[in-house]
Amino acid sequence: MTYLEDQQMTHRPKPVLTRRRALQLGGLGAGALATGFLAGCGASEPAPLPVAKPGTDPWRRFAGTTINFISENTAPTAAIAANLKPFTDLTGVRVNIGNLELQALVQRVALDMAGGQAQYDVVYADPYQVLAPYSKGLTDLRELDGRSGLPPLEKGLGDFIPTQLRAAGTFGDDGKIFALPYDAPTMIWQYRADIFDRYFDRMSADLGFDPTPGADRTWEEYRKIAAWINDHVDEVPYGTGHQAKQHDSLQCDFSNVLWAYGGDYFENGTEVGLSGSVHPGKCLLREDAAIEAATFYDGLVRIAHPGSRGWDWDGVAAALRAGQIAMTPNWHENAASNEQALPGKIDYAPLPRGPHRSANIYGGTGIAISGSSGGARLGAAWLFVNWATSPDTQLANLKSSVGGGTPTRSSVYELPEVKQAEQRPSKLPNMLTADAVTTAWKSDYIGLRPKIPMWNECDTALFTELSRMLAGQQSPKEAMTNAADRIDDIVARGWFA
Amino acid sequence: MTTTVDRATRAGADPAPRRSRLTLHELMMAPALLLLAVLSIIPLVTLIAMSFSRVRLLGGVRLEWVGLDNWSRALTDADLWHGWALTLVYFVITLAIEMVLGIAIAAVLSRLARGRGPLLVLVLLPMFVAPAIVGLLGRYLTDSTFGLYAWVLQGVGIHHDILGNPHSALAAVVLMDVWEWTPLIALISLAGMTSVNPSILEAAALDGAGSWRTLWHIVLPSIMNVLTVALLIRSMDLVRYFDIITVTTNGGPADATKIMPLRLYESSFRFFDLGYAAVIGLMMLVLTIVIARIFVRMLSGKGQNA
Repeated sequence: MTYLEDQQMTHRPKPVLTRRRALQLGGLGAGALATGFLAGCGASEPAPLPVAKPGTDPWRRFAGTTINFISENTAPTAAIAANLKPFTDLTGVRVNIGNLELQALVQRVALDMAGGQAQYDVVYADPYQVLAPYSKGLTDLRELDGRSGLPPLEKGLGDFIPTQLRAAGTFGDDGKIFALPYDAPTMIWQYRADIFDRYFDRMSADLGFDPTPGADRTWEEYRKIAAWINDHVDEVPYGTGHQAKQHDSLQCDFSNVLWAYGGDYFENGTEVGLSGSVHPGKCLLREDAAIEAATFYDGLVRIAHPGSRGWDWDGVAAALRAGQIAMTPNWHENAASNEQALPGKIDYAPLPRGPHRSANIYGGTGIAISGSSGGARLGAAWLFVNWATSPDTQLANLKSSVGGGTPTRSSVYELPEVKQAEQRPSKLPNMLTADAVTTAWKSDYIGLRPKIPMWNECDTALFTELSRMLAGQQSPKEAMTNAADRIDDIVARGWFA
Repeated sequence: MTTTVDRATRAGADPAPRRSRLTLHELMMAPALLLLAVLSIIPLVTLIAMSFSRVRLLGGVRLEWVGLDNWSRALTDADLWHGWALTLVYFVITLAIEMVLGIAIAAVLSRLARGRGPLLVLVLLPMFVAPAIVGLLGRYLTDSTFGLYAWVLQGVGIHHDILGNPHSALAAVVLMDVWEWTPLIALISLAGMTSVNPSILEAAALDGAGSWRTLWHIVLPSIMNVLTVALLIRSMDLVRYFDIITVTTNGGPADATKIMPLRLYESSFRFFDLGYAAVIGLMMLVLTIVIARIFVRMLSGKGQNA
């Protein structure tokens, strides 16, 4: 460009908008739009429940409504999804069921609550990842149970197994019920009964104790049995297998040992597990009992199948069914699959005891209604929650050919056909675990993780430190101390949903 | 041409600061720029705001100003720095293996007179598999219960679990990425090699240069621009490598495979600590820009030299 051309350009009429001004305005606009964008993610008040017309059948009141149910891809939901017709016939309500892996479910629920539009009316409310952090975004179900012309729960809340109702349904001490127990996976001792039968005499003689699995065995005896099977049994390569992958499963597997040895995560651990807390206090993992438990667990995994460090609960279940291991602690709802793969060969017992007790971690979940759901959808959501947790539906789930969980209602366990199924040959193979889980759900035996809103992050801190211990990068004492330090930091930051 | 004297004269004649004006062209580009702002600038501004805030979700998204808390936490977080170191190690190893292997495969393919087409299709196949599927395949092949690779290793007396050991797990996820993306490097390199002037190669052959010397001194310098583009593409991908690790190890064991994208995901969508996640996201953005700038500068340098 020549000087002359440049001069001519500078004497052109001044444009309305300079570049700098445009950038300034652009920046301001972007800021304003960003603010508007975030403000647009706000919530609005849900519509009230419509008034019931006199004489209307409470179950048909919301016919024609469509609701969305988001669930983890668990056996009860698979059974319900496969047999929704009875509900649609009863109520005229259409239910869209979304099945997701748990982490994906937690993300969707959190983002849905942030949006405040209740895309998901009914939510699979994991007590630790959904209920505790987002209880303020859920509906108190007592306000719907038999009120405003809505049908009450058959047999009432008292029919639910009490520890499950508190652990999976409540948060805090204000009596609110946010979720109804929907499934009840609990970790128990799963073992190859055929191997224990065949080698019982030799095992007893060599080990010097009765090796029959049960809550009378100690974890130390469990380790000795596993080591004995490693050395003397040809049918399986290893005695025990564990879900010791760097994953939630590692925390679950370790917690059984921790509680058995008298350790815990926080003061009043049982109460924090049952009722939940936002301020659980200082972490107790630095204490001797926790270090002793970690030391034992480290030794146990060392003699376990080498695949243990890469297995979660699915991996170890597959290994048991594939004949790679003779026993493992795992969720009891694997019983149906076990019976399919190795019919009559796998039995169940409560987990061994430590110096303190036998502890069996509970992993049950409830279903809840989003606090943003309103109008007819709120009513229809209650009908669905009521129906899905009813004794009849739970029995139907138990019989389902696509899996089905185990009931959360006491009355279902009293039914003759269910009692009969506790023995082989069983048409309801999950009921083969009934003796073991009935013991495991007693208050002295149940193991409850801390129900705190920030548990997801604490859990990650713990299983990461445990994984480092199992990899030989740190001692059990260092693992417990580091985990306690990290958990204290996380708890100190507080929860800010 | 404008001389120094001209510029000095004009500076003396017009001492007032010049304000640049929007031209007609720029005004016509405004709608596109506005769209760009909506798609890029607003999210960036939001992300920066989030990094100085505590983000609440329930009842609508709200930002609470916390100053430099998230940044100071990130800068003093030993685990986060371990994640950065691991990301760097992973990045360098994977990129080096992919480049060396990719160029080697391309060199072999370029010398084939017959059957190059079918062989190229076979080589390229892994590239068309979704990364999550590659992860699943890897997980199943290395599973110590039924995995083929695990079975082979057990056959030679190695019984440890591939994904359960920190060193072998990192090697496994690196190799899975190498398996999937080396073909891309091979394809790009092959395209470059086929464009090398045949007369130069003939001259080299007449001068007695062997295959290795021809590759090293003639072919590779000739295709350096193409290789830089390949490096740039793979680098951008590697910085956000996520799928395969999530499916196979989920960052374990002992955090041995927890590179930055997994930490970002964990902070944002598992812990919903969105302020802290924004800091990690911005750090990754800076890294990406730095890497892109380095390669673009290399590319433009080569372009000027050529």
